[in-house]
Amino acid sequence: MKNEFLVSGSPHIHKKESISRIMWAVVISLIPTGVAGVIIFGLDALWVTLVSIVAALLTEFTFQVLTKKKITIFDGSAVITGILLAFNLPSNVPLWLPAIGAIFSIAIGKQVFGGIGQNIFNPALVGRVFLMASWPKYMTTFVKPFNYDAVTSATPLAALREGKVLEHISYLDLFLGKRGGCIGEVCILALLIGAAFLFVRGYISWHIPVTYIFTTAVFVYIFGGNKLFNGDWLFHILNGGLVLGAFFMATDYVATPLTVKGQLIFGLGCGLLTAVIRIWGGYPEGVSYAILMMNGATPFIDRYTKSRIYGTK
Amino acid sequence: MNIQEFLTIFISAVFIYNVILSRFLGLCSFIAISKETKPALAMSSAVMFVIVMSSAITWFVYRFLLVPFNLTYLRTISFILVIATFVQFVEMVVRKISPQLYRAFGIYLPLITVNCAVLGVAVLNIDMFFINGKAVAGSFYYSVFQGICVGLVYTLAMLLMSGIRERLEFCNVPEALKDFPLAFIIAAILSLSFMGFNGFKF
Amino acid sequence: MKNAIGEFTKGIIKENPTFVLVLGLCPTLAVSVSVANGIGMGIAATFVLLGSSLIVSLIRDFIPDKVRIPCYIVIIATFVTIAELCMKAYSPLLDRALGIYVPLIVVNCIVLGRAEAFACKNNLANSFFDGLGMGVGFTLALILISAIREFLGAGQILGHTLIKGFEPVFVFSMPSGALLVIGLLLGFFNIIKNKKS
Repeated sequence: MKNEFLVSGSPHIHKKESISRIMWAVVISLIPTGVAGVIIFGLDALWVTLVSIVAALLTEFTFQVLTKKKITIFDGSAVITGILLAFNLPSNVPLWLPAIGAIFSIAIGKQVFGGIGQNIFNPALVGRVFLMASWPKYMTTFVKPFNYDAVTSATPLAALREGKVLEHISYLDLFLGKRGGCIGEVCILALLIGAAFLFVRGYISWHIPVTYIFTTAVFVYIFGGNKLFNGDWLFHILNGGLVLGAFFMATDYVATPLTVKGQLIFGLGCGLLTAVIRIWGGYPEGVSYAILMMNGATPFIDRYTKSRIYGTK
Repeated sequence: MNIQEFLTIFISAVFIYNVILSRFLGLCSFIAISKETKPALAMSSAVMFVIVMSSAITWFVYRFLLVPFNLTYLRTISFILVIATFVQFVEMVVRKISPQLYRAFGIYLPLITVNCAVLGVAVLNIDMFFINGKAVAGSFYYSVFQGICVGLVYTLAMLLMSGIRERLEFCNVPEALKDFPLAFIIAAILSLSFMGFNGFKF
Repeated sequence: MKNAIGEFTKGIIKENPTFVLVLGLCPTLAVSVSVANGIGMGIAATFVLLGSSLIVSLIRDFIPDKVRIPCYIVIIATFVTIAELCMKAYSPLLDRALGIYVPLIVVNCIVLGRAEAFACKNNLANSFFDGLGMGVGFTLALILISAIREFLGAGQILGHTLIKGFEPVFVFSMPSGALLVIGLLLGFFNIIKNKKS
């Protein structure tokens, strides 16, 4: 097994594992969600995901050829970015959208920083907010679940934002993913299965996801309802991209703090920002923005939570 | 004068029309000095001080000098003179009182004269809180408060940026993108993420 | 005369104020949403540059060194005020589009920078061409950036749609798009510079 050591601030190797192994494990953990996405939204979901992955790989390949660096497209990291970007898109987007998004994610979100291990921001999210700013119409048009004829409908979060309650939808429905939304965010069950796999293998720790979701829930409970302490926190957890974001994107080794204290702060910050945007902001969903902002604050958090080296000031 | 207005000013300056990432005031110094945290912090404090003070002084100049004598077209000249003089004055005082303080951030003071943020906020204050030459009730407090908010935003942005750029010193960024190009790209991504606050309503 | 031409052309490429000297970016990014705005700002700034460079060069031997910066500022501010008033009178639409960035020409580092670095040390003819060259270089940079942004962000140039059915990439009409464009352009010019050496 080849070990690759990176000279960078991130010790994203906890045991003697190669990066590839971890990356591909994450890919595997995302398969249940992918399958669920295809079942719920049809083959469109598959094409979007494949286009995104291929575009990501080609971009990374081209970049590495042009800058005469080692070709590392098989380490799985570009594949993950491709998958995660696709999972953050509605299934009915024109195929050039995930392609351009993936190119942007890899080129601007990752390669300009120096490549793997050096990105400040989560590449998939960089691509997503770029797409959101560029083509908001495509990014906010969703299809009805299990309706392969592309009938559009609003997501429950968006409906809540406008004060309407989407036809009676139970928590179980939300848990299983019977709602409109982005490909990889709807089936909470599949996401949790994948996350459990990563926990068991020790590739992610509970600190960030749990703090993140807990903070959002508490804040939404207090401020998210018509009166204080009346918010529907379960609805908020099961809706939008919170679970997908908390377990798979806020846990990006490279773009998050090194220490446990830092990670708790990170989770707290993400949770707060997500809740604030969901309750008072203009968009119904705030996960991508929250995580990116905290990514930006991570170097700062690291500075002030680094454990003291014994013997020095 | 109402509290709502203060809240609006704050949200506007920080989130909706973020002074640096959206209005681009103070961008030059932001990109140039955010490479390391120490100078970034020094510059930010100096900027904050100058912005708040000049917001106050220019308000007085406009309200009691330019408006009554119908000289509002001299706004640009008088404001920049006020700012330049004030900065010169502060620099002299700091140099005399504390050479240490001067070494820490006195050197940035001349740069602040040409910092778009200072004149920009002064002009914004007038545009926002004077209607047809008449001061809106409480406009002085609004102006100073806006100055404070802008100073805070500037400091926050500098801190974030310097943290990021310091960390990038350890990364092998492509040669052509080192320093300025990458700084702009980072600012672009930060600007994109701040878009999450669009349409904020309390 | 040859010298003067040199002073003019250096402002366009070799010492382009925007892409090489990286000066005066605040207004550049803010107004470059459309080519029309870019040209308007460019013309206003060139006017101020020319005027102030000429005057500063004219009286350079009479300004005591200690108060030279405030003097330059007064001179520049005067020209900016003239530009402001003319714009308000003759093209109020442009004035509204450019907003606070017109008075901000006063603190545009390009203008003060040229006065400080060149006009106070050179004769009238050279200062004239230097100011003109910098102004033209600045305007060209503005046109380049705003052309990219207007085309990608709105599918138009100067208000005319170029390609039918083009889906505009809205982000380029936004501040983050501006930052992206300047970052990538600077990187691109760096690549060219590195290839040359």
